[in-house]
Amino acid sequence: MSNELVSLQGIHKSFSGVEVLHGVDLTLGAGEVLALLGENGAGKSTLVKILAGDIEPTSGSIDIQGSKLAKLDVYQARQLGVRMIFQELNDAPALTVAENIFLGQWPHSGPFVTWSEMAAKAKEVLDRLEVDIPVDAIAGQLRVGERQLIEIARALTQDTKVLVLDEPTAALSNVEVERLFAVMDQLREEGVGMIYITHRLDEVARVADRVQVLRDGSSVLTVDAKKATREDLVSAMLGHANAKNVRPTVTDTSEAAIKVSGLTSFAEFQNINFTVNKGEVLALFGKVGSGTAEICEALFGLRSITAGSVEIFGKQYKTKGPADSAEQGIGYLPADRQRLGSFPVRSVAENLAVRSWKHMGRFGFVNRALEHKAFSRWAEALRIVSRGSTQTISTLSGGNQQKVLLARWFEAGVNILLLVEPTRGVDVGARRDIYEIIRKQAKESGMAVVVSTSDYEEVVLLADRALVMSRGEVVSELSGNSVEAGKLIAASS
Amino acid sequence: MSNDKGTEVAQSQNKVRRRMPDVAPLLGFLILLTIFFTVTSPYFLDVDNFKNIFVALAVTGVVCVPGTMLMIAGQVDLSVGSSAAVSGMILGNVVNSYGISKGLLAVLIYGLVIGAINGFFVTIIGVNSLITTLGTLATLYGIALLIGNGQTLMMKNFEWLGTAQPAGIPLPILIFFVIAVIGIVTLRRTRYGRSLYAIGSNPNAARVVGIRSNRILFATFVLSGLSSALAGAILCSQLSAGDPNAARGLELEVITAIVLGGASLAGGRGTMWGTIIGLTTIGVLNNGLILLDVPTFWQRVAQGLMLILAVSFDATRERLASKRR
Repeated sequence: MSNELVSLQGIHKSFSGVEVLHGVDLTLGAGEVLALLGENGAGKSTLVKILAGDIEPTSGSIDIQGSKLAKLDVYQARQLGVRMIFQELNDAPALTVAENIFLGQWPHSGPFVTWSEMAAKAKEVLDRLEVDIPVDAIAGQLRVGERQLIEIARALTQDTKVLVLDEPTAALSNVEVERLFAVMDQLREEGVGMIYITHRLDEVARVADRVQVLRDGSSVLTVDAKKATREDLVSAMLGHANAKNVRPTVTDTSEAAIKVSGLTSFAEFQNINFTVNKGEVLALFGKVGSGTAEICEALFGLRSITAGSVEIFGKQYKTKGPADSAEQGIGYLPADRQRLGSFPVRSVAENLAVRSWKHMGRFGFVNRALEHKAFSRWAEALRIVSRGSTQTISTLSGGNQQKVLLARWFEAGVNILLLVEPTRGVDVGARRDIYEIIRKQAKESGMAVVVSTSDYEEVVLLADRALVMSRGEVVSELSGNSVEAGKLIAASS
Repeated sequence: MSNDKGTEVAQSQNKVRRRMPDVAPLLGFLILLTIFFTVTSPYFLDVDNFKNIFVALAVTGVVCVPGTMLMIAGQVDLSVGSSAAVSGMILGNVVNSYGISKGLLAVLIYGLVIGAINGFFVTIIGVNSLITTLGTLATLYGIALLIGNGQTLMMKNFEWLGTAQPAGIPLPILIFFVIAVIGIVTLRRTRYGRSLYAIGSNPNAARVVGIRSNRILFATFVLSGLSSALAGAILCSQLSAGDPNAARGLELEVITAIVLGGASLAGGRGTMWGTIIGLTTIGVLNNGLILLDVPTFWQRVAQGLMLILAVSFDATRERLASKRR
């Protein structure tokens, strides 16, 4: 291939002794779109971060535009025209569209920004992308999809040769997704090579020329996108893991713990009905923005309920906010562990006990010895790896942090536990542990569990039943052995 | 069983190691300072001199206790100096016309009210505590001047609070001691105290885990208001007068002591012991400088430098900690 832009050969990468990439090859031509698929933890992000110079590979060769590089750093990667677009926005919301497009590299004469030149150039770039956004609009007031396009426009002003898009459509509406694809078509014409990471199989045929599938750190399939069937891709992604994914024995109890009727919160979700029995695990499965996380937030009092009712053990349930919900025996584990879950500079024991202080002493006092005992007890049951109960939680691995936060609610003895993306950012091994722990705890304590997730594997391995959601509505219900990856994906897309 | 004991020992060792790096450098500095002044001044190492040091610190110390709690929760109260001044002016006025008990009652009510005002703006309206209390700092200083028309209010028969020495220990030191002990126990052993650490460490997570952050912060601002009122009363008694300028710069001394003592400006970290050591360092430094006949203006310079030093230390430690991660 004469117009080859990128060639990665035999990339190996280990993190603290554990190999996460086992010799992956990847090539990308000019004007080509390569879709990179794989489950969470398959190594997609690590691979593209190596390409961006963010992570140094343990071994393997990197070749960008014909120049073989022994070592690649972020600065070099930028020089060579590699740009990344992430799911999370990296813009300055208070500045205008034009300023964001030229962020940090504003056209200037002397110390002064030349506004007219900047506006004209910004308009030129947006026109080229056939995007109609006023250049003097404030970025923060635009829709997420529009802001993502602005980031792409920024990449374009900087002589981009290779554009990596890491799940950019997760938060976009259908119209915005279509517009993004149109822009990608435009870039393809201009000879930009693109690596497109996605979870949505339906997008592959629309946007990509070739598909590469990673599984457990190895490349397992590379095919022409037009020839790849959905079944091929799914089985390549799941692989042996699928065979190993044994469905748990379904818990069958008859006492309803929580009953939700006609629940609605503005446009986030509408007319949701379900019942979860004691000891049962119900999954709400859907893409980000489909309303699954929002239901959990509403039940915990973090979001207002505009219609419908909730009954807990047959009694009408209303909440004034998280503190009130927690006092009524409900637990909630947010998806964003750093921002909403953990107390980073505090010890693991404190992080675990924070919800149980009431039971750990009288007259407002807390017996610290009981905190440490509780930690030791759960550390053993949940296989939490730490240096001891006084270790600061932020120094633990993601999986171990999540176990501490789960134990927080187990220790508090809640009747209903709401989990949002409970294994996001958790390595594969710890993930299995966490599923086992949740199921065991639910069974033993009779706790009802509602899991909001966008990961089908999680549903298969964890849930007794699943409601599939799309755009704020339940589109299908699966239970027992019909909870399987293929049906979940088919129902949600 | 033996295993249990093993982990307990390991835990207590961990505890020591964990607290060491925060306070150890300061403690070392304090010891060096003490040795330096002992060598350079014959008056320094003396029981009466140490009484002087701690009497001078007691007023600041009383305010430092809720101040540390606020800092741990990620909040700050800058209004304490002006508030103490207003408290002294109120006391001066009321004691002269209605007697001491009514005066103290008025001061108590005043402390509750000013604390509640700060707490209201921070927790219910949602204004940043730095700005809120900067506003009340300015407002209260104005009010202190207004009450006495810019003048000092002389008063009689109220020296006991600031100067009595039951069992040979000055009353202000005893008051500080009692409040500090309550502070230590509260921070370490009560749900309220532990919640302050949680709120400061991650306010969003505190809310999601069901801690009633607003109530807790409101109460802490009220405690801070009460402590500044008490500090004003002690100061007023020591001076036998309500002086609108008596407590100027108190907030600076309070924050310096707390930050020196290892509380993080970002919240979530700090101990009452650390603050006490920080406070003692300031006291020893001020006292030593006086004994060495250094002009008093230099005290201000030294204190300002100490604050910058303490904050730099905090920032450096933070950076090192994030690197280690």
